[in-house]
Amino acid sequence: MSLEMKYNLKSPGVKRLMREACELAEPTEEYHACPLEDNLFEWHFTVKGPPSTEFEGGYYHGRILLPSQYPMQPPNIILLTPNGRFEVNKKICLSISGHHPESWQPSWSIRTALLALIAFMPIPSSGTIGSLDYTAEERQILARKSVHWECSNCGKIANKLSTVKIPELTQEESNFIKQIALKAEEDVNRKEVSNEELNDNLMDLQDTVQQRSASNGTYTELQTSTVDPKDSELLNQNGIWNAVVGILISAIVLLILRRVFFL
Amino acid sequence: MGDEAKNSSTTTEDVPQLNQDELIMAQQRQIEKEISESIPLVGELESILLLEHEYSNDTVYQEKVRNLSLKYSSIRRTRPDGNCFFRAFSFAYIERLLDKKEEFKAFYQKAEKSKDVLVELGFQQFTVEDFYDTYLDVLKRVGDIENTEEAKAELYTLFNDQGYSDYMVVYLRLLTSGQLQKEKDFYSCFIEGHRTVEDFCHQEVEPMYKESDHIHIIAACAALGTGVRVIYMDRGTGKAVTEHDLPEGCIPSVHLLYRPGHYDILYPV
Ligand SMILES: [Zn+2]
Repeated sequence: MSLEMKYNLKSPGVKRLMREACELAEPTEEYHACPLEDNLFEWHFTVKGPPSTEFEGGYYHGRILLPSQYPMQPPNIILLTPNGRFEVNKKICLSISGHHPESWQPSWSIRTALLALIAFMPIPSSGTIGSLDYTAEERQILARKSVHWECSNCGKIANKLSTVKIPELTQEESNFIKQIALKAEEDVNRKEVSNEELNDNLMDLQDTVQQRSASNGTYTELQTSTVDPKDSELLNQNGIWNAVVGILISAIVLLILRRVFFL
Repeated sequence: MGDEAKNSSTTTEDVPQLNQDELIMAQQRQIEKEISESIPLVGELESILLLEHEYSNDTVYQEKVRNLSLKYSSIRRTRPDGNCFFRAFSFAYIERLLDKKEEFKAFYQKAEKSKDVLVELGFQQFTVEDFYDTYLDVLKRVGDIENTEEAKAELYTLFNDQGYSDYMVVYLRLLTSGQLQKEKDFYSCFIEGHRTVEDFCHQEVEPMYKESDHIHIIAACAALGTGVRVIYMDRGTGKAVTEHDLPEGCIPSVHLLYRPGHYDILYPV
């Protein structure tokens, strides 16, 4: 079935993806991406390793997963070709450096995401989730190997790019590409945290909170005349922290219950 | 100022272990998201007196609602998802223009020219066009309907279709960002911290779900060439609600009710 038949063409999100597919139809020197034949919301891409870096000469292939709310929500990128910079088969997403994924802007596009990926590759990984810090030599070896890498869906990736130069970036574009950061999708990982881990975390939290309440005295004004002021201070603090912990625990327990019963 | 649901997540920030802090915040965000999604993007017209039920145990608010009902007959709620100002403002303004065919025509002509300014400012042409096309499409679809009531019903339908509704929000966010950048000398003194107007736009105006402050409202009004009256209702002293016209001294075309963290649309008596 053709894409045109399968999707509601009136939906702005679908129209947008069709447009992007047109815009990116022609392979360029730096990147190429197109939707899978049977799924407009999954694309495969190939990017060329940035010149004058340890990725020079490499070809990197991967998947782009578009959320149903695209472009209101950011695409996820999954690299498939071993590269020494990002783990393969792991979702990475785009945001403005140092901000939450909500800082994705709907006026960015798949092209933006690919340019950001290319620009971001040589930046040191500094140990963030989903990042690898292979040596330059190891990365160069992977870059050379990547020329022969094949995707089971798309075939040999080194043939996917052309010699067409990409249109020059606007000032605005190059500005925001500099600002974009790619991170492993931490929130998703967190949601997959097992109940046990969750409980452990919670115990730690409770300990910390209790230590804090015992060691700091910011609630000194909470005193009553009938009880020894010192006791009441401690009592009030514990009361407040217990309430806080209680609320947190019940929120988390609710979430766990919901997960168990409804998913 | 913005949607309460989002602001509240800052209260846990001094818990030392960052991971646990973030874990809880992520879960909190998820709960808030689910609550928010159960509320329509733009609600039905309701009598202002129904607000009193919301505060059945709160005499301070009840008094204020009665006060409010002297000037306003109805309210239309919007989803508290951080986009409420942009959604409420664009819906209410277009709805009002539908009553005045001439003004609507002038507005449409202005909207037709709005894209070029954004492209000149350096926004990616390809995506700006995408939002612009849908924005004009919505205006055209409601503008082409002769009968005003039917046109308003169509507007209501489109604004409750997540695809169209969010596209309207995005385009108004872009126009607002464009306005701020076009007059950055004027706006830069209202921006807190050491951010440039461009940074502020990228971080606080263009992304979806980012709440709106005075500066967003003033720039959005300037971009569309109109004014807004915001009625503030909080637990503050006094029986009256406070009003604020943005920009100051304007003749407001849209009336919004602001309760800490959220905007709804008001309809004068
Ligand atoms: Zn492939």
